[in-house]
Amino acid sequence: MSRPSDDKLREIVARFPTTREEDWKYTDLSRARDIAARWLEEKPAAAASASPDRAAAITDSIDAAWLVIANGELQTSRPPDGVTVGKVDYIPLGDSALAEFNAALVSDGIRIRVSGKVSTPIGLLLIDSAERTSVSQAYVEIEFDDGASAGVIEYHASRGRADQYANTFVTFGIGEAASASHVRIQDRGRQHVQTSKTRVRVGKDASFSSASFDLGGCLVRNDIDIDIARPGADVSFDGLYLAGDGQHIDNHTRVDHRVGPATSRQEYRGILNGRCRCVWNGKAIVHEGADGTDADQANHNLLLSEKAEIDAKPELEIYTDDVKCSHGTTVGQLDETALFYLRSRGLDRNAAIQVLTHAFAAGLVTRVPVPAARDAVSSLIERRLEELAVTIEDEES
Amino acid sequence: MLDIKDLKARVAGNDILNGLSLSVKAGEVHAIMGPNGSGKSTLAQVVAGHDDFEVTGGSVSFKGQDLLDLDPEERAREGIFLGFQYPVEIPGVNNAYLLKAAMNARRAHRGEGEIDSFEFLKLAREKMAALGMDPKFLNRGVNEGFSGGEKKRNEILQMAMLEPECAILDETDSGLDIDALKAVAAGVNALRSPDRAIVLVTHYQRLLDYVEPDFVHVLSQGRIVRSGDKTLALELEEKGYDWVREAASA
Repeated sequence: MSRPSDDKLREIVARFPTTREEDWKYTDLSRARDIAARWLEEKPAAAASASPDRAAAITDSIDAAWLVIANGELQTSRPPDGVTVGKVDYIPLGDSALAEFNAALVSDGIRIRVSGKVSTPIGLLLIDSAERTSVSQAYVEIEFDDGASAGVIEYHASRGRADQYANTFVTFGIGEAASASHVRIQDRGRQHVQTSKTRVRVGKDASFSSASFDLGGCLVRNDIDIDIARPGADVSFDGLYLAGDGQHIDNHTRVDHRVGPATSRQEYRGILNGRCRCVWNGKAIVHEGADGTDADQANHNLLLSEKAEIDAKPELEIYTDDVKCSHGTTVGQLDETALFYLRSRGLDRNAAIQVLTHAFAAGLVTRVPVPAARDAVSSLIERRLEELAVTIEDEES
Repeated sequence: MLDIKDLKARVAGNDILNGLSLSVKAGEVHAIMGPNGSGKSTLAQVVAGHDDFEVTGGSVSFKGQDLLDLDPEERAREGIFLGFQYPVEIPGVNNAYLLKAAMNARRAHRGEGEIDSFEFLKLAREKMAALGMDPKFLNRGVNEGFSGGEKKRNEILQMAMLEPECAILDETDSGLDIDALKAVAAGVNALRSPDRAIVLVTHYQRLLDYVEPDFVHVLSQGRIVRSGDKTLALELEEKGYDWVREAASA
């Protein structure tokens, strides 16, 4: 694919969404725009290779067949039996400037095909490392044949002090009676920017179970769009965001119930500390004729600091009668009574905070749909909660 | 062991304790009785270190050191245990985890290593059997969905595992049926020893049928207005708290 002219790229960057758009009201992409503009200005040489040590540390921590995409280039690919990895013929332009930006720059769109029941999870490591301002793109399509099943672990990481912006698109096409499990772990550098879009097409009687964990990044926007166009679909997805000082993490979800019967369930949880802001916007659209739809959404937030801010917004649009829809949103502080109870048993304040925040997150960890990722997720969360608890102490003293 | 002198404390601008003095020696069991609102629970919470309560005067020393200077966790590690009137439900934190973490915090404070997992389980099962608790409670969330009686038994289990030097049990007998009351009393009696002090905060005399106190104190308006032996509790039961109030204001 030939790269468009810099002028064309600048023109696309100028069309990045702004806070004037309803869907982007709370998330200002100026920083992504700045990094992209600077990157185009500096005309960097070929991307530096990502640190192999860091990649190895991650791929060793989770038992999966890993595909490593470093700075947007496919480096290693060891698909398990029943899985083939190739390149996409073309990348659809999509419906946004971010999709256009991706399509214009991605070096190789990757196509993963799952045929049959695959027991080894497919690992997808998207890792960036740069010493200069950089932008990376990834585009991955994962197609499940009818009746196929597999787990996919998508891991985003970055290192380096320079400004980085990663823009990724992952698409799931799930065939009839196929079953896809998905875990997304985002543990980017605390000063890096990411926008990600996950698109899911769920086939007849197919299932999609997912869990997302956002730990890093300074400006993060994730969109997950799930399209239920065949009856019998069973969709369940969770998300956990742990944000500290200087982080902005936005999760926008959208489920289109075009036919029934089908179920979708989502639960997002957030733990926020220090000066940070998170957004959860859950949209469920039950289209005309989608009788027998059961849609449930929940979002719970724990704010550990007065400087932390959450914008939580459920959006239900229902155009048919025979439906069951529910939503619930909560925002709360740490339970002081529980904190005292734990301290009165000898746990110090930090340990007690960690115990309570861990308990808040624990339900989502036990539900991680790809068991191979569970231990790694659990220890990443523990590490992050430890950092967040320490920040609280600093704030007090 | 525990010396409280002229203690004054307030919460949300209201004076609750108004110069309370109490001295508890190792080996003794004290019962603190009094009507609702007399400051019984406040006393228990202040000794345990709850920061909702502001100490405005007096002193509390434990084994010779100033207790009011210590954080709640430091008090616990030194050997103070508060049995809560309303034990807190903590979903997602399992009972075994909390017990172990609490024991290890005390052990670390004494310079000992962490408790061996097998030893811990053996001990916990023993103590639970003695309290008539199903061992399944170990793997449930702390007090999560427990009945009132189960919560109180769980408090006694924690006390039995932690072997505190000074246990303060705040209304541990309230809301218990007779079987649970007996189990709780047996747990308290098992802990009685010449090295330990136990303070029972209670509204009713009935617990004292099963745990015989050495001293009984009556609290009214944030002060101890009468002290005596176990017969004082019986007298109170008979005459009611009005009798104390009258005696106090007389």
